Amino acid sequence: MKKGLILFLLLGSLTSLAQENEGVVYFTRTTYWTKMLSQLTFLSKQEKERMSYMFAGKDDWKVYTLLYFNENQSKYINSEEKNEESEGYDWRKEEYIVSRNFAKNTMTDVIEMIGKTYIIEDSLQTPNWKILNDLKEVAGHICMKAMIEDPVKNQKITAWFAQDLPSSAGPERLWGLPGMILEIDINDGTVIVQASKIEFKKLGQELDLPKKLKGKKLTETAYQEMIDKFIKEKIKEEVNPYWMLRY
Amino acid sequence: MKKSLLLLCLCFFYTTLVVAQSPVRVSIKGMVQDTNAAVLSGATVMLLQPKDSSLVNFARANDKGAFEFRNVKNANYLLKISYVGFLPYQQPIKPSTTEQLDLGIIKIKPIAKELIEVVVRTAKAPLTIKGDTIEYNAASFKVPPGSSVEDLLRRLPGIEVDADGNIKAQGKDVKKVLVDGKTFFGDDPKAATKNLGAETISKVQVFNGKSDQANITGVDDGKKEKTINLELKEQYKKGSFGKITVAAGTESRGALRGNYNRFNKKEQFSVLGYVNNINETGVNWSDYGEFKGNNSFNQNDNGDFGFGSNGRYYFSDGGGLLNNFDGRGFTNNFGSGVNYNYTHQKTKLSTSYFYNQTKLNLTQYETRKTFLQNSSFTTTDTTSSVNFRGNHSIAARFEQMLDSSNTLITKLNVRFSNSTNNNLQNQRYLVDDTSLRNAISLNNGTGLDAYNVSGTAIFRHKFKKKNKNFAASATYTTSSSDGFENINSLTKFFNASNVNDQIKAIAQLNQNTNKTQLLKGGLFLLNPVSKKVYWESFYNFSSDQQTVGRDAFNALSAENKRYDSLSTYYTNTILYNRIGSSVRYSHSGVNVSVGLAALRYNLDGKVYPQKDKPLSATIDKQYDALTPNLSTSIEFKNNAYVGLNYNLNVEAPSITDLQPVLNNSNPFYITTGNQNLLPAKSHEVSVDFYKFDPATFMNFSVWVNYNYYLSQIVYNQIVDANLVTRTRPENIAGGRSINGGLYSSFPIIKTKLTVNLNGQINASKNPTYINGVENETDNQRYTMNLGFNLSPSDKFLMSLSGGLGFNNIDYSIDQRQNQKIRTSSVDASIKWNFAPKTFFETNLDYNTYQNDRFNFNQDIPILNCSVRRLLMKDNKLELRLAAFDVFNKRQTITQQGYQNYVSNQKALTLARYVMLSLTYNVKGHEGKLKKNGGWF
Repeated sequence: MKKGLILFLLLGSLTSLAQENEGVVYFTRTTYWTKMLSQLTFLSKQEKERMSYMFAGKDDWKVYTLLYFNENQSKYINSEEKNEESEGYDWRKEEYIVSRNFAKNTMTDVIEMIGKTYIIEDSLQTPNWKILNDLKEVAGHICMKAMIEDPVKNQKITAWFAQDLPSSAGPERLWGLPGMILEIDINDGTVIVQASKIEFKKLGQELDLPKKLKGKKLTETAYQEMIDKFIKEKIKEEVNPYWMLRY
Repeated sequence: MKKSLLLLCLCFFYTTLVVAQSPVRVSIKGMVQDTNAAVLSGATVMLLQPKDSSLVNFARANDKGAFEFRNVKNANYLLKISYVGFLPYQQPIKPSTTEQLDLGIIKIKPIAKELIEVVVRTAKAPLTIKGDTIEYNAASFKVPPGSSVEDLLRRLPGIEVDADGNIKAQGKDVKKVLVDGKTFFGDDPKAATKNLGAETISKVQVFNGKSDQANITGVDDGKKEKTINLELKEQYKKGSFGKITVAAGTESRGALRGNYNRFNKKEQFSVLGYVNNINETGVNWSDYGEFKGNNSFNQNDNGDFGFGSNGRYYFSDGGGLLNNFDGRGFTNNFGSGVNYNYTHQKTKLSTSYFYNQTKLNLTQYETRKTFLQNSSFTTTDTTSSVNFRGNHSIAARFEQMLDSSNTLITKLNVRFSNSTNNNLQNQRYLVDDTSLRNAISLNNGTGLDAYNVSGTAIFRHKFKKKNKNFAASATYTTSSSDGFENINSLTKFFNASNVNDQIKAIAQLNQNTNKTQLLKGGLFLLNPVSKKVYWESFYNFSSDQQTVGRDAFNALSAENKRYDSLSTYYTNTILYNRIGSSVRYSHSGVNVSVGLAALRYNLDGKVYPQKDKPLSATIDKQYDALTPNLSTSIEFKNNAYVGLNYNLNVEAPSITDLQPVLNNSNPFYITTGNQNLLPAKSHEVSVDFYKFDPATFMNFSVWVNYNYYLSQIVYNQIVDANLVTRTRPENIAGGRSINGGLYSSFPIIKTKLTVNLNGQINASKNPTYINGVENETDNQRYTMNLGFNLSPSDKFLMSLSGGLGFNNIDYSIDQRQNQKIRTSSVDASIKWNFAPKTFFETNLDYNTYQNDRFNFNQDIPILNCSVRRLLMKDNKLELRLAAFDVFNKRQTITQQGYQNYVSNQKALTLARYVMLSLTYNVKGHEGKLKKNGGWF
């Protein structure tokens, strides 16, 4: 019986692989802010320990995001869904659109940060993924582990990509693995973005960018240089840069 | 199935490295099959760099299981194939000698089905596979507490343990059990599995013995001796921190304080203690946070539902532990306590005990001018008092998640306190500023023993529908106090014509017994109408029952005769019911809520001449009100926020104001309560705006708050010819106040120089009746402040600020008495890390106080300096020499005008002393200057 079930599951994921290549992934993005703050180099050991002593276990903050995808494109945005703890109150979400075209090898990201909206337009530059041997299940898919480093934000990122979803798409600004990325873990659990549901459906306008894009245009290199400068400046001022910048 | 999706980056690889006779570029192809030769179409095939597993290229096997990488650099690779339900396959590839490299048929092995089903799907545990090594995450497999590793292994799919403890993994005998890669007490595999506790294990790895190399490379070396490695938990995240300070100074000043905290993932334990005579009556916020740990603040602890309460976040009041010294007098302080928190899965328990005591010696001088219609009188007052207060507090909080949708929070707080107060006071009453009318000397002593016990339960339920919540709360509080007052006074009336009236002496003993019982509760329901509209309903109830008994005796007569006129016994019950509802729109930074509540107060009073005597009077009142509420907060793009709130506040009178009892502890200022008092009622409107620019760190905020009283509780006065004031609280309409402020800070030179400026306006008009004539006091206060923060280097921080304060008080009863009070201040501070581990810190506060009408003009310059040096490894020790108030000028001055008086008060307090202190910090002191005062 059990074996039958497994076979069914395996076959199920195979058929989905064969038929569906378009839809939306629902992600939950959780930030553990005591972990984030304890990476600030200007804090003393006692301040870090006090923080985890007082707030550990209730320092998580959840938001929801969506990843639309088809064979050649993806678009990742903030969802309008509200947090369970919010009692329905809603705050303004910063503009955040990460759009990838794998066929044309281009990217267009609209990111509001440090008080301004920026449009990052560039060609896609292949990320340097390392593939590891661990397996785990995320949202009903067996995923394999991969890792990458972000030298600007000083982050070690672990990604789990589905072996049976042939797409290069992923959450946040990550992409370029042999399967869809269904979970990422930034700096040992500081931020975890995890898929909760995958819906295969024919998409309409969801992958399109807004007609009018307002904001300062940057290349990827210029964007990285700007945030690098900002992070260094805030660290020098002993202020957490990630209050104003997506971690 | 598909052709390679992405052939990226390859064009970037230009190389001149050529292996002998080898082509520069090759095509690599092969076929993927399972061990039964079935085609595995759709398998992911990756080319990795052998040195660090970097992804170079990937492809998918087509419907025949075939894959091909075309035109890739001819180099060493690691070929990796993954397919759902199969072990990841790895194979090293050497540079090819031909342009076509055919790897032939590659057979990949299925993962034991139980592993996929149980480990990955059910336990949601990452299953780590390195070659043939399989790693289990022990935490994913629940075993009862106290279980051995053997019990844990029995639960792992693919592992069998027989009755004797022999272990088989994937059908093969396990010959060796390692602990953290090392042999554990000889070669018997059972030594470790039977003796180690399951809770000490983080991971179980099953692999083929002597294949450590295989572990790393992932390449199987062929040996088949099953080995289990038990990886011990990187001990619970645990730690400790704390510090202790010993300080001794001139003027017999000394202080000792310390705290120590130990914690692990589940438990937090802390102790805190202090003793000093340098006016630290408690601890600061950061020490308080360290003491209370994860119990410092709690979400969902507020059981007062509905608008006008504080929302669901609950901030502790500090539980009496915080330093609350108001700047007057000399104190001797002692406090110590313990706190224990336990947090595990769905349970959170916190308990604490704290004892603190403060003895205050206060000497102060006050001049007060009181205005009547067409006249005024001046009172000078010299007070010296000794006050002692001691508190035992026990607190417990227990939070249990009953299941995923239900939570119960229970709290218990117990406090015992005792206090004594001795008050010696000399007052002189002058008319026309010079002629002495009366003089009184008071010698009052009081003693009080009290306890307070309070229990709360809050239940919260989440419905299946997202954000639909229900909550119910109940609180019961009982408190009791027993006290005595010894009132002795001697009054001289200098213009009395009759000798008998010239001196009046009172000696009175009051015995007071008060009891309170408060029961309150509430219900709350939040219902989402749509994704953007929410409907909130609430009900609040409270029953506050007070029993007050006072027996006043004549202490001059031998038989201690009871003064019936000054004695009382009564009970008061205030019943409060409120039901209300609000509708809220919440979407994308716009939250607007409109609500209405209906409330009812029932005041029920029974007055008796004495306990166990027949009823002498009853009061039965009912008060109803409808209270609307509007609350708006809008967040705009680019970090701008606007808030607009309106509320109709209705507040029940305080119990002391309701007590129909004459208080004559000062024979020149006699107060009585008023049982007919109605609740205070006011319209309150507030508007605020905030803007922040993250790029420059410029921020700007402005706020205004306006209150209009429909009914205000004020203290009307009757002053008789002997200058005896009798006051009684009464309701009056028409009082109003407006408070506004502005704050801005911005950098002038990035990271080096910032400016901040702020200003405030407080204006109020308060009517009262003085001898039956309405007086409106118009009080206007303006303050402004400009400051600079300069940090030219990491080793030198400086700040400079100046402020001005204007307070104009106009009395409609007598315009000639209008007052103008002026204050100004200059603050400068320097922090300088002038040598390694050595710091110099100084600050100067220069304050001036001025009131021309009093001919009062005083400057108080306070200069503090200190040098400190960090010692030992990790800066664990700090030695500090500090001089406080170098000019020996400190005293506390309070100037205020209110109702129909203006007063000027000076209190002595701790002035110049020099102190040497030594602090040991377990975690080490900060070795550099902090820029933002602990905010980041």
